[in-house]
Amino acid sequence: MDHILKINELSKSFGDKSVLDNLSINIERNKSQVIIGGSGTGKSVLLKCILGLIEPDSGEIFFNQQILNKKKRADIDFHSKIGMLFQGAALFDSLNVQENITFGIKKLESNLGDLTEIAVDKLKKVGLNSSVLYFYPSELSGGMQKRVALARAIARNPELLFFDEPTTGLDPIMADVINNLINEVIEEVGATAITITHDMESAKKIADKISMLYKGAVIWTGDAMDINSSNNPYVDQFIKGSSDGPIKINPND
Amino acid sequence: MYKYIYIIPEAIGKSVLRMCASIGSIAIFFYDFVICLFTPPIYIKSLLIQLVRIGYNSLPVIGLTAFFTGGVLALQIYVGGSRFNAENIVASIVALGITRELGPVIAGLMLAGRVSASISAEIATMRVTEQIDALITLSTNPMKYLVVPRVLAAVISLPILVIIADIIGIMGGFVVGTKTLGFIEQSYIKNTLDIIELRDVLSGLVKAAVFGFIVAFMGCYHGYNSTGGAQGVGRSTTLAVVSASILILASNYILTSLVFTN
Ligand SMILES: Nc1ncnc2c1ncn2[C@@H]1O[C@H](COP(=O)(O)OP(=O)(O)OP(=O)(O)O)[C@@H](O)[C@H]1O
Ligand SMILES: [Mg+2]
Repeated sequence: MDHILKINELSKSFGDKSVLDNLSINIERNKSQVIIGGSGTGKSVLLKCILGLIEPDSGEIFFNQQILNKKKRADIDFHSKIGMLFQGAALFDSLNVQENITFGIKKLESNLGDLTEIAVDKLKKVGLNSSVLYFYPSELSGGMQKRVALARAIARNPELLFFDEPTTGLDPIMADVINNLINEVIEEVGATAITITHDMESAKKIADKISMLYKGAVIWTGDAMDINSSNNPYVDQFIKGSSDGPIKINPND
Repeated sequence: MYKYIYIIPEAIGKSVLRMCASIGSIAIFFYDFVICLFTPPIYIKSLLIQLVRIGYNSLPVIGLTAFFTGGVLALQIYVGGSRFNAENIVASIVALGITRELGPVIAGLMLAGRVSASISAEIATMRVTEQIDALITLSTNPMKYLVVPRVLAAVISLPILVIIADIIGIMGGFVVGTKTLGFIEQSYIKNTLDIIELRDVLSGLVKAAVFGFIVAFMGCYHGYNSTGGAQGVGRSTTLAVVSASILILASNYILTSLVFTN
């Protein structure tokens, strides 16, 4: 099978708190992988390890069959091949919307007309119009910031996309626009997407594969349509959203 | 009882270790900075923006403090000098004191308060809101994009600000000297010009460049390594201002002893 990303036994602790615990997962090329899991189970930390923002304690990450480390990321210009939507948007607040969206493109082509065109095009894809082009992030609502950040993540047409909770903070209609957008980039551009979400509606709509994280490890992976018949008590509890079950509410347990 | 014996050595040991760790991390940060300084790309636009923010916008603050410093210096020297009939020395001491010491030090300290704080708060906020992580994912080296332009801008601006502070400070002494202490304008100016040598001004400018580096570098370092949310932003801002101020005064002593004691 063609895996764009392979993660082997990744571990990471902060102090004596173990966050990722021998986590392994393989991501198929040109598929949509959704990762679900309770708050604080290490989903965002996992993405940051892949991106090289956090150094894992042990384990290996392979991108296109090549091992990813600091040097390799620089050698193959890894970051130009990926797009990342941060959980908190992380827009540059000293730059306006247009500059934010085209930030990563600047070095490749400097024609200002083209940049504006790209920004408008990407804004349209996330359900915003060009009236916000020259707004600063502080002048946007939380949901609008999230969508601008999404536009920034897809602006360079990356082959691998990471979305950390793309639909949180959006109304149901906008959430659906974003779901369609994720499906569209996978189908049309041939990208691979790894999406973290708590939104089961969205997960079912965009996922080819779903994996569930619990206590820093993958406890279930399967096709999206099998999620309701997983026979896994953790998954069942999570999708039902019940406080009753093997997952303890008290995170210290 | 025994366990109390260990408290003091333990505290000393801990703070020594912590100090070594932070010296180490500053050294690593400095090494990265030097590498980034000499490798492309250079962000000219950011550099220009920072020149305006760090240099141009500091003009009023530094001008005002220099003016009053020159004035008070003239007043004090007049009062002190008159005790042994040496009032005429006012112009010379104001000129030397401002160009050699007070111009660069006052400008440096004002810049530490104004610029270290704002650089550190800005970069720390970018750190805690993951904007620095976002820069990396957009193939931009935060050291090159954020740190290099700020440090370069401060190293370029502060000497220019100090030239201006020198002029305004001497003018402050001149105003006080001629308007309230009764010196004759021509002779005050002549005394000033007679005493100043190029070396006095140049040594002040070298100091200014060093102080400019300290101000921006400390602001960037503490901001970049900020942790712990809004509280962490506040903490790193305080640390930046305090460490920049102390380093300015300490390096001032070292530079003075290097330049003026052959
Ligand atoms: N820089 C850090 N320093 C110390 N602890 C951290 C750091 N980053 C994350 N953690 C810890 O790692 C754990 C997992 O965090 P993470 O952000 O990955 O959770 P998450 O699964 O994304 O949760 P959520 O769904 O709420 O976003 C948390 O308990 C958090 O306290
Ligand atoms: Mg998260």
